[in-house]
Amino acid sequence: MFDFSWNMLTYFPPGISTYSEAHDDLFALVYWISVGIFMLVQITLVTFIFKYRHRPGHKSYHYHGNNVVEFTWTLAPTILFAGLGLYSDEMWKVMKYSSRIPTPDVEIDVVGQAFNWNARYPGADGILGKRHARYRTATNLFGIDPTDARGKDDIVLTGEFNLPINKNVVVHLSSVDVLHSYFLPNFRIKQDAVPGSWIDVWFNGTKTGKYELACAELCGSGHYAMRAVLNMQSDADFAKWMDAKNAAKKIILDAEAANPKPVEAAAAPAPAAHGAGEHH
Amino acid sequence: MEAAVLTHEHGHAVAHAADHAHEHHEPSFIRKYLFSTDHKTIAKQFLTTSMFFLLVGGAFALFIRWQLAYPGEPIPVIGSWLPDSLVSNGAIQPGFYTQLVTMHATVMIFFVIIPMATGAFANFCIPLMIGTDDMAMPIVNMMSFWLVPIAGLTIMAGFFVEGGTAAAGWTNYPPLSASGMGHTLWVMGVFLVGFSSILGGMNYVTTVLNKRAKGMRMFDMPMTVWALFITAILQTLGTPVLAADAVLLFVDQVFHAGIFIPENLLTPSGGLFPNGANVGTGGGGQPVLWQHLFWFYSHPAVYIMILPVMGVVSDVLATFARKPIYGYKAMVFAIMAIAFLGFVVWGHHMFLSGMSPLLGTTFMLSTIVIAVPSSIKIFNWLGTVWRGDIHFTTPNLNALGFISTFVCGGLSGVFMAIGPIDVYIHDTYFIVAHIHYVLFGGALFGIFAGVYYWFPKMFGKMYNESMGKFHFVLTFITFNLCFFPMHMIGVGGHMRRIHDPYVYEFLKPFQPINQFITIFAILLGFSQLILIFNLLWSVKYGRPAPRNPWRANTLEWAAPAHPGHGNFDRDITVYRGPYEYASPESKRDYLPQWIRPAHVEQETVAKH
Repeated sequence: MFDFSWNMLTYFPPGISTYSEAHDDLFALVYWISVGIFMLVQITLVTFIFKYRHRPGHKSYHYHGNNVVEFTWTLAPTILFAGLGLYSDEMWKVMKYSSRIPTPDVEIDVVGQAFNWNARYPGADGILGKRHARYRTATNLFGIDPTDARGKDDIVLTGEFNLPINKNVVVHLSSVDVLHSYFLPNFRIKQDAVPGSWIDVWFNGTKTGKYELACAELCGSGHYAMRAVLNMQSDADFAKWMDAKNAAKKIILDAEAANPKPVEAAAAPAPAAHGAGEHH
Repeated sequence: MEAAVLTHEHGHAVAHAADHAHEHHEPSFIRKYLFSTDHKTIAKQFLTTSMFFLLVGGAFALFIRWQLAYPGEPIPVIGSWLPDSLVSNGAIQPGFYTQLVTMHATVMIFFVIIPMATGAFANFCIPLMIGTDDMAMPIVNMMSFWLVPIAGLTIMAGFFVEGGTAAAGWTNYPPLSASGMGHTLWVMGVFLVGFSSILGGMNYVTTVLNKRAKGMRMFDMPMTVWALFITAILQTLGTPVLAADAVLLFVDQVFHAGIFIPENLLTPSGGLFPNGANVGTGGGGQPVLWQHLFWFYSHPAVYIMILPVMGVVSDVLATFARKPIYGYKAMVFAIMAIAFLGFVVWGHHMFLSGMSPLLGTTFMLSTIVIAVPSSIKIFNWLGTVWRGDIHFTTPNLNALGFISTFVCGGLSGVFMAIGPIDVYIHDTYFIVAHIHYVLFGGALFGIFAGVYYWFPKMFGKMYNESMGKFHFVLTFITFNLCFFPMHMIGVGGHMRRIHDPYVYEFLKPFQPINQFITIFAILLGFSQLILIFNLLWSVKYGRPAPRNPWRANTLEWAAPAHPGHGNFDRDITVYRGPYEYASPESKRDYLPQWIRPAHVEQETVAKH
């Protein structure tokens, strides 16, 4: 049976990013301040309700209020809440400001597509090839520029991804159809995937294991099942996995180079995506 | 034909009010109950329409709750009645689920809370509480009501078109909402109901500014009128932006203009999205633009829903604590501050939309500052009950319940205001808990307080007090047990709007909590039948109401027990503020606004 607790803080999934602890601490700070104010107001309210309940012969106090009191209870919450806002701003900057995104150790593209998550890894050359929306088709979700040689070896995966721990990962996030939201509960990170824009998300995972990636923005009837798994690996395991993917990709590329005909067939637009060809 | 009838009715209203005549040539049923221009009838029309929609929206909510607690299991009783396009073997299909979450919120926000908080209360209270015969523009007022059922039918028609009704959430974000007949009907319905709001708002502002009784200064107005007046300003300034947004989306849906649709977008089937940018006009649209325009209206709309009931709660508390409202002017200024700040905080709904994080900082600070006027209101309400003489009538219980739950809703709002925390709890059940603490625990408890409080004046009958108290106690308990645990699963990362949470390993442990919530949601829903029964029964069999059953000070209680067209049976002059309870000037514990100073003793005694 489920462990019930009145303390909301116990419900967080285990945090495994460099800022999950700072996030949970900030949440706890706001939580305990709120619990304090909540108890104070409720206890006062209940006390007043009990103490000043109507009894025969009892008359209320004719009093319209007091400006000093008004001033005090205006100033106190202003200081408290403005202070809380200013204090939280630092963490906001760390998570979101582009100037604060660390130099990436690993850089990948992620696009949401109803109802899948797709990722593009840089391939053997370690560089993501150029992309543009005009190249996008149902078979080229990332819009990889076919004229850019650096894009040839890029590896595209759906549904399950691997990343190394203790590395700064920068995800360039977008969508090919509707809005999605890239939600990694254990990393305390969430970012809308907006079609037409590329938005950078960064994190640094500290523990190996498989973690769930959810879609948090309603994207259609299959929204609930837009789930993927992020496999956080040690540096060595990740390198091994990447090498295997690169080797597999190399076999395909070599086969295509040896026999150019299938390349043309592969480059032809898929039937469902007719019309995109106009832009080539 | 119809216009001629209406003009006649209008002329009648003016003539009637002008000479305070009381010859009753009974108007026809249609003009008395359907196309009436009497503000009290229009208020009742708003009230009954939104009560109906409350049941519809509540039913949608129970479907949603059933699915979250017992996914894949047939809905009891009703499941077998629904068509196969919505359910399979009686269990809710994913597409139907997204329609349900969309329509639950759409109905509750646009057709229940806004029409009740503004339509019903502004119409009923403003003319009576400022001591006048009717609204400044009675025909505009009537149109403001009739747009609501037309808009409601338009949106509900979505259930019968191909592809089903709108299913992109009540926020209706494109590109998801940019295709499908259901979404087009949604946009049209929202446009129409928005115009109801605009017409109502301008009428309320005009009436308050021009039609106050002799001697009534702005600062002699009760808090309800102040709150409704400021809300009306929000309605007239905010709603046109929503209307413009709706038109832009309509143009995208019908003419494929591509305003919100970026270049070369895929549809879920893998084809290309119809879009101007794809046929050679160059450039692409921006989906985030919809969000900016939508929230520029919809954040102030949150205050359109909560400010009126803050006014109602203030009046109810003062009346039943038999005490002047604490810090009357501070309360008015706090409402003004909330209304002003409400227009500069919309970005906190968009922390994750990809807008500049620098704007995020700005919106975070402006948002968190709203906690200040909100705190001022809470403290002043506490000050009002302090050293009062509290009577636990049904309206007062609901008003006290409002304060208790609004504190919780306000505090959970602080979490959302803080950007880095919002990153995690955005689009989770934490926000679902928050909005229900504010809009159910807040707005709806305030609305209940107001409905019970003015019921005697509305229908000339008293409601049943024991049934009213029973309704409050049940609602208060089941409400908290239903919505409080949502905070917890929200912290656990439970996303909103998901048909089956248990496809995620990390959400599987939350099923028992979801079942707990569902049980209390069902009890909460069925508790509302007590309210409906009480109101209907009392309209017919209630004890006749006296003129001033609550021994209150404000002008509506100077009107006859069941006022007719024209409202007052005597000239009204205002001599003092609305909250002279327990005044040393009078031996009684109240001193109405309309009593001449020279007659203080005789009149208060004579009137009772």
